[in-house]
Amino acid sequence: MANILEVKHLNKSFGRKPVLHDISFTVQKGRIVGLVGPNGAGKSTIMKTVLGLTDFSNGEILVEGQTVTATKHTSLAYVGALIEYPGIYPFMSGLDHLKLFATGDDQNQRIDEVVTELRMTKYIKRKAKSYSLGMKQKLGIALALVNHPNFVVLDEPMNGLDPESNKDLRNIITNLAKKGTTILISSHILSELEKLVNDVLVIDKGRIVSQSSMRNLMNRGKKYLVIKSADDAKAKNLLMAAGYELADGDDVRILETDAQKLMPILKIYVENDIEILDIQHQQSDLETSLLTLLANDQVTE
Amino acid sequence: MLTLIHQETFKLMHKKSTYFVSLFLAGMIILFGVLAKLYPNSFDPKSMFNINFTGIEWITFLMIAASASIVAMEFQYGTVKELLYRKYNRGQVLVSKWIVTFIYSLYMYVLALVLTLVLKVVLFNHTFELGKLSGSHTVIENLLISMGSQFIGLWLVLSLVLLLATMFKSSTVAVSAGFIGYFAANIAASLMFGLIGKWEWLKWNPLNMLSLSTQVMTPSYREFTKLTVDQLVMGNLGYIVVFLFLGYLIFKKRNV
Ligand SMILES: Nc1ncnc2c1ncn2[C@@H]1O[C@H](COP(=O)(O)OP(=O)(O)OP(=O)(O)O)[C@@H](O)[C@H]1O
Ligand SMILES: [Mg+2]
Repeated sequence: MANILEVKHLNKSFGRKPVLHDISFTVQKGRIVGLVGPNGAGKSTIMKTVLGLTDFSNGEILVEGQTVTATKHTSLAYVGALIEYPGIYPFMSGLDHLKLFATGDDQNQRIDEVVTELRMTKYIKRKAKSYSLGMKQKLGIALALVNHPNFVVLDEPMNGLDPESNKDLRNIITNLAKKGTTILISSHILSELEKLVNDVLVIDKGRIVSQSSMRNLMNRGKKYLVIKSADDAKAKNLLMAAGYELADGDDVRILETDAQKLMPILKIYVENDIEILDIQHQQSDLETSLLTLLANDQVTE
Repeated sequence: MLTLIHQETFKLMHKKSTYFVSLFLAGMIILFGVLAKLYPNSFDPKSMFNINFTGIEWITFLMIAASASIVAMEFQYGTVKELLYRKYNRGQVLVSKWIVTFIYSLYMYVLALVLTLVLKVVLFNHTFELGKLSGSHTVIENLLISMGSQFIGLWLVLSLVLLLATMFKSSTVAVSAGFIGYFAANIAASLMFGLIGKWEWLKWNPLNMLSLSTQVMTPSYREFTKLTVDQLVMGNLGYIVVFLFLGYLIFKKRNV
């Protein structure tokens, strides 16, 4: 599939402080790509350079096959973005903001659409200086989406959104992706991101630590079989004696391996007359995968 | 580019201060017109007419503030990101701001001119005649020439203010520097002329360029400025271009 974004050997310093080291990655058309990493890792900086907002010392950025630099961005014609916090003119209403940046003939229709989708109708005509944090955030998202861009860059868009709006946003993003829109999104709310993204780019200290699909990243994490029983302590001893690897903690969590069968484990319980109360598979979530990854600082495959 | 100019105008028209500024300017011009009518001995009607009933002076202050805010507000509100990630390049974004500032200043001058003429007809119809020769030009010609030269001087100040607003991302700094520069030009004029007398090359300094409007009305001023009117005009335009261009270079390099 074609790449909508290609970043090649990007290096960037602020003054003498290097911030991005040899960043290379690609984003395929129609994918939702999550950019994750600790505070100060360089997520916003990557997004800004992609959008031509900051210069960089060397490397190359291609959007739709065309070079982007701080001074040249014709290829950004069909890009929509929200970076860090929404830029808002306090003296204008939300609707005026949308009118200001909406282009094309059907702009009013698109404005109505995005306002309804994000449930902003009630306050869209009010001056933006009276907006709450979340309202401003939604306006920022609306501004990024109103022109139906092919490529959307969202930097921590869930900031300040209530659970309902979070869900709205998730639906909007998934629907956009279904229609072929590409989305590059960063967030610290990994539980949200996990439900959303196809690919994950992990950044740490200005370097790409891992680039993989969401599924691969998850699979890399450990999986456990959690068994609750009437006598966990006894079960633990027996399981360990039988050579199973258990996770720390009071409850019984057996590390799953590929060849492992369920039957022999259950047999131990049955033969020793321990009543089984509940059995669950526990897969590591994005958070645990990420934390493990960052702790080991694995290099990208 | 037209889209950008349209966007800048849209923002300007949505600011309350834009309307307030027009009202304030009109109010001041009318106020001094009425004062000249009531107290012609303190406020000589013809002299007041020549300076647009103080209108041009107010425009300078108002435009310093307005131009600084047109650039600096984008940094202040963080909206500069919204402007710059789009398909337009940075030069276009900045130039659209200059153009709208220019149109705005032109509008204010036209407003001042119209009000001056209206006041003349309404309040001082029989006091003096517009078509009467005063020196080599008629009264109305003199007014237009004076306004033209002041407009050039205004833009010398504005180009500096725009440069400072881009440099410091803050309208406070730009406005203060604009005001100080403008006042300093008046206060330090005699000191500067002394220095120019000593070292003639100093005549090319930008403060001296602000003497243009005075010299246009009082040709003998040349003794002090050591420059002809043409040279002053060229000097003004030269500095305007330099200041604007420096602003462009800074804006181009700016990380946002
Ligand atoms: N304008 C700037 N001047 C100097 N250093 C900067 C500037 N902006 C960012 N940095 C530095 O660049 C690094 C990356 O910052 P960036 O904002 O990209 O991080 P981030 O991954 O977005 O973090 P967060 O999760 O906190 O948003 C940080 O070390 C930061 O200190
Ligand atoms: Mg950030």
